Amino acid sequence: MEQIKNGILDYLKDNSFMERGTVLRDSDSLTQNGIIDSIGLLELIDYICETYSIEIPEDMLTPENFDSLQGITDLITRLAK
Amino acid sequence: MSKLACKKCVLNSDIPGIEINEESGLCHFCETYVPLSSKEREQYLNRIEELFKEYSGRGNYDVIFALSGGKDSSYTLYKLKKDYPFLKVLAVQFDNGFTSDYAVVNAKKMCEITGCDYFKLTMETEVLYELFRKAAESYDAFPKFAKYRASDICNICISVIKQKLLEQAIVQNAPFVVFAFTAGQSPNPIINLSANFIQWSRNLFEKQLQKIGVDDRDEQFLIKNEVIKNIGEVAPSILHPLCLWEYSEDKVIETVMELGWKAPDLNDSNSTNCTLNSFACHNHLEKYGFHPYAFDIAGLVRSGEMSREEGLEKLHQELSQPLIEEAAEKLEIKINHS
Repeated sequence: MEQIKNGILDYLKDNSFMERGTVLRDSDSLTQNGIIDSIGLLELIDYICETYSIEIPEDMLTPENFDSLQGITDLITRLAK
Repeated sequence: MSKLACKKCVLNSDIPGIEINEESGLCHFCETYVPLSSKEREQYLNRIEELFKEYSGRGNYDVIFALSGGKDSSYTLYKLKKDYPFLKVLAVQFDNGFTSDYAVVNAKKMCEITGCDYFKLTMETEVLYELFRKAAESYDAFPKFAKYRASDICNICISVIKQKLLEQAIVQNAPFVVFAFTAGQSPNPIINLSANFIQWSRNLFEKQLQKIGVDDRDEQFLIKNEVIKNIGEVAPSILHPLCLWEYSEDKVIETVMELGWKAPDLNDSNSTNCTLNSFACHNHLEKYGFHPYAFDIAGLVRSGEMSREEGLEKLHQELSQPLIEEAAEKLEIKINHS
């Protein structure tokens, strides 16, 4: 779990979605904290599918699953099983 | 610390958030850059062809195409129809109130040549001016990375185009929306959407508009909620074929000019269709201190589609003062003469 979370965090920092020094809690909203918008979300989703070799079912493309580090980590953990 | 420039692309350490590794001399984008291999490009193109064959012929149109009338979208429309002549395409040109006359002539000409239907999407000029004025006057309304993607004005404009083209795709039951983004502008060739995601991204854009002070109660800029409810079994997908084709600005211009596309008399090295672009760049530079095309051009240089010298030249070219003043006057914004 921690490895996935850190991987997502590194992606967001490496691709300049957020400053390196920014502290982001697991449940913080990525959209409400100005880290990502709808176009950025598309890139993040593409990255997740490629990196973790998963296909995300359409009904799982929701804010609950994608708007926080915790949501994303849980989703990847479920789908990568 | 003195300014460090990436030795591969055009980014430098003066741009907020850009780090240059002193040892490698590369920015963190170039250090982690993995280009699509020719095999991967081929696989994506095969996938796109399969999708076209599987889903075309089901709705009023197969493709809703974003046609600005500029060189890239004109070229992409031409090549798309050349490579996939069976596609029924509706080319939509968004007239943002600053579309050059040349762009309209060019767009109609390209539709005539390719046999595509043409639709000009527009709104009341004052409504559009108000939207762009608020975008220009906003500060930090967009996430950090969005500022790298484009100016605040262009981000608003392209978001409206995306919303309204998706709306058109749903209404026309068209399975694909095609944009002519280069690899520097969008690295993802195929984006599958879902009704959930379209609704979510609509709501996000609504909040973005509210953040700059625009309340779009009439859903002029947003996909209408009523339309989203009518998404069929398969939601439209977004395709970016240009990022899979070999790209050279000279080749693109040469190809479209041979077809009768006329080069505009705009003195803007980054746009061949929009008279607001110079002002948008000026506004972004004033607010954030770096050129909004820096990342786009860096992407093209990184992928070898533009030489570093050419990229640097584009970035350092002076913006057109007459275009800046003309747009500022229309938007009723005072500009600083530096």
